[in-house]
Amino acid sequence: MSLFSLFGPAAEVPDAQRKSVETGHVRLIVTGALFMVAFSVIAGRMVDVMVLKGADSQPQRRLAQAVDHRMQRADIVDRNGVLLATSLPTVSLYAKPKEILDAGEASAKLLRVLPELSHTEVLNKLSGDRGFIYLRRNLTPRQQYDVNALGIPGLYFEDGERRVYPQGPLASHVVGMTDLDNKGIAGIEKTFDGALTGRQPLALALDLRVQTVLRDELRRAIADFSAVGATGVVMDVRSGEMLAMVSLPDFDPNAPSTATEEARFNRTTLGVYEMGSTFKLFNTAAALDAGIASPESMFDATNPIQISRFSISDYHSLKRPMSVAEILVHSSNVGSAKMAMSLGGERQKEFLGRLGMLRPVAIELPEVGSPLVPSPWREISTMTISYGHGMAVTPLHLASGVGALINGGWFRQPTLLRQDSQTPVPARRVVDDRTSKNMRKMMRMVVEEGTGGKADVPGYQVGGKTGTAEKAGGAGGYRTKSLLSSFVGAFPMSDPRYVVLVMVDEPHGTKESFGYATGGWVAAPPVSRIVAQIAPMLGIGPVLEAQAAIPVQKASTRERAIVAVE
Amino acid sequence: MRRGGAFRRPEMLLREKLWHVSWSFILLLSMVAGVGFLMLVSAANGNVDPWASRQMVRFGVGVGVMLVVGLVDIRIWMKHAYALYVIAAILLVLVELRGTIGMGAQRWIDLGFVQLQPSEVMKISLVLALARYFHGANLQEVGRPVFLIVPLLMVLAPAALVLKQPDLGTAIMLILSSGGIFWLAGVRIWKFAVVFSASVAAIPVAWNFLREYQKQRVLTFLNPENDPLGSGYHIMQSKIALGSGGLFGKGFMLGTQSHLNFLPEKQTDFIFTMLAEELGMVGGLALLSLYTLVLIYGFAIAYRSRSQFGRLVALGVTTTFFLYVFINIAMVMGLIPVVGVPLPLISYGGTAMLTLMFGFGLVMSVYVHRDVQIGRRGAWDSG
Repeated sequence: MSLFSLFGPAAEVPDAQRKSVETGHVRLIVTGALFMVAFSVIAGRMVDVMVLKGADSQPQRRLAQAVDHRMQRADIVDRNGVLLATSLPTVSLYAKPKEILDAGEASAKLLRVLPELSHTEVLNKLSGDRGFIYLRRNLTPRQQYDVNALGIPGLYFEDGERRVYPQGPLASHVVGMTDLDNKGIAGIEKTFDGALTGRQPLALALDLRVQTVLRDELRRAIADFSAVGATGVVMDVRSGEMLAMVSLPDFDPNAPSTATEEARFNRTTLGVYEMGSTFKLFNTAAALDAGIASPESMFDATNPIQISRFSISDYHSLKRPMSVAEILVHSSNVGSAKMAMSLGGERQKEFLGRLGMLRPVAIELPEVGSPLVPSPWREISTMTISYGHGMAVTPLHLASGVGALINGGWFRQPTLLRQDSQTPVPARRVVDDRTSKNMRKMMRMVVEEGTGGKADVPGYQVGGKTGTAEKAGGAGGYRTKSLLSSFVGAFPMSDPRYVVLVMVDEPHGTKESFGYATGGWVAAPPVSRIVAQIAPMLGIGPVLEAQAAIPVQKASTRERAIVAVE
Repeated sequence: MRRGGAFRRPEMLLREKLWHVSWSFILLLSMVAGVGFLMLVSAANGNVDPWASRQMVRFGVGVGVMLVVGLVDIRIWMKHAYALYVIAAILLVLVELRGTIGMGAQRWIDLGFVQLQPSEVMKISLVLALARYFHGANLQEVGRPVFLIVPLLMVLAPAALVLKQPDLGTAIMLILSSGGIFWLAGVRIWKFAVVFSASVAAIPVAWNFLREYQKQRVLTFLNPENDPLGSGYHIMQSKIALGSGGLFGKGFMLGTQSHLNFLPEKQTDFIFTMLAEELGMVGGLALLSLYTLVLIYGFAIAYRSRSQFGRLVALGVTTTFFLYVFINIAMVMGLIPVVGVPLPLISYGGTAMLTLMFGFGLVMSVYVHRDVQIGRRGAWDSG
């Protein structure tokens, strides 16, 4: 130490120490250089990120990927791609009770965040010794955060997905629903349960705009006539595609627990009904197609028919012979029965079988009803079936059968799936073209001059047939006050594109309908309103009647029939 | 070589000391802090409250602390270096025993008027203690592996305690700044290589000791797009904000990403992102230049110091400062995983500010007493 003070600062340091200082200085400079390199790296990265955007494109692209959650179950859309059913990611809360330290404390804490849970229930679940138990399904992100923040060991989240139906009840009976485990339990969801995987959405034939119109009009009919229910379809007769299919009452598939038994019942495909006079269309077509009658052939409808203990009569009997066209236009039971008798039971049954009336309809729904057909097929059955009693089919049977009568005679299976317009739908000829044309003409007459007048829409040539059936009572008889009023129509009759069916269950007459609750008063007006709304949507414009005369085999038929009525 | 005769005298008068204070260094630090005030005003949408005002008070206090520390004789600091280290170690243990929980990690001791963060105290006292240990040691001594056992323990013990808190960022900083001191003291390069290889080999083992969130952060760093809505969110948003800044930025207080709260922690750890978004690449590089100037001051002072202790202290503090800057900016730009390290003198927060100003006080003390010679045992060499 004293040594240091003897020499100057540079010299006083011994060699070893000076070397140490020199090493220190070199290393100091090296360190500084290293720091500068590090800062240069930062600066370079700054230039890259901020100006050259080298890292910019990647996060953008992958962000999009992150939003794109892969769902297990495919979407269901309508024919225009509008979403009917989709899946959203959710989390479910479950517990491993064995890992819960203090079940009482855990459930008390949990109740603070999820107050809708029952304390005793949660406590029981957490105290049990099961390895796994769900506590609550489908937490919101906020709830998940809150539960997480409680920090209770033994609680876990399970990633899952939840089925959501953005349209609510609008197409509930078609789309159906899934259970808690996302398994299809009704409708399309059930039929295509296995196929609804992957990314490609399932496109239905439904047009949601048409579906909306149909449902609104059916709701209005129920309200107007205090009915218990209603059903209706709009079907493309060239492809068999169902543009709309509604059964009321319906339900919200987002809240399946609120749906009553009745609301879940699909009247369109599962319910079988005695259709009443709309069946006269099939009776007439069968007679024409078999060649036993032409539209102007005459059948005696002067007196009611007595057969054993039954009596067949008309509501408003003209008490005279009537032509085939008149029988349809005036909906004569007696005339229809006479026509059926000359056709014979065998040929009647065979004809109805051709139109698919004897088997469950082949549609992509699990809810399909079997027709009720008489066995054995007796003479009285042949007579009552001619005007729609003694045999029960679903409304869908009726619509698809009528479609085959008017589209030139081709029967196509009704379908809920969108068809490729390029590939022709397989079709089976059921009546010849001439019969089809005559049917179109006579259906138009029903609207122009007969019971279906209220279905008319100027310019759209609506044709069809009314039906008013008395519902079968519990004791094997009929309840005259419980009606099933329907109208099955099609438009435009010069070249039919769409069948529209409306059926109202147990309507009650109103002051406006002069107390009537028949098909002509209850179901024809909705058909008129539906056609007026959907025809423009579907690209069909109104035409002048004169320009679009229905081509018929004999031009004089109509005039003659009218003369005969008068 | 030899400077003015006054410095040969062991004691300087306070007036002389004030004359030798590097006021330009203080001005430089004030400029950096001034940038911080501006950014905190912007973070509060043009309001001085709640952040900028308090930050200014803290910086004012910090400058005071720096001056006082800088005027205290360097030999006094050396004399009490070990004592300070022991106190910091005790505080670290205390915080482990009865620390209050803040931000998910036990890091604070509440002294009532200020929340004391022992790991910050340790950053400074570890530099002092190591500098004292290596002071006067010649290369032969430093070359003996046994000689290095004590300082290694001095580093690893607090680093382990800090890691247990858990505070990965501070633990890394303690180890790296100590490494700087070891390096400057003359430890052979191959020894660093051995330690480095051993560390790399130990990574799989250490992985198991990391907390789940720390593992998550490392994994997120390796692939931030893995979890863009969770752990990767900070970095993704930060990169978007940086990218949107461009060359000249969107303008002061006009940063959309930060002001619309897409950017989390914009007033603390991610303040650099906001600065870069609003002032652009030019602003970011300007700030980096200011920081570089601070480093140059630190190195120059270390270089100029005649005592080994002073040199090591100046370098240790400068390294700590460098690590703050580097880790923070590298983090917000996604070069390294997210660790909670503030941007020195700019991020809102009192602890880091006071730590650094105290450290710069030591650097200032080294500068003021640059020609003071200190004996091997730290005695007053009055000759």
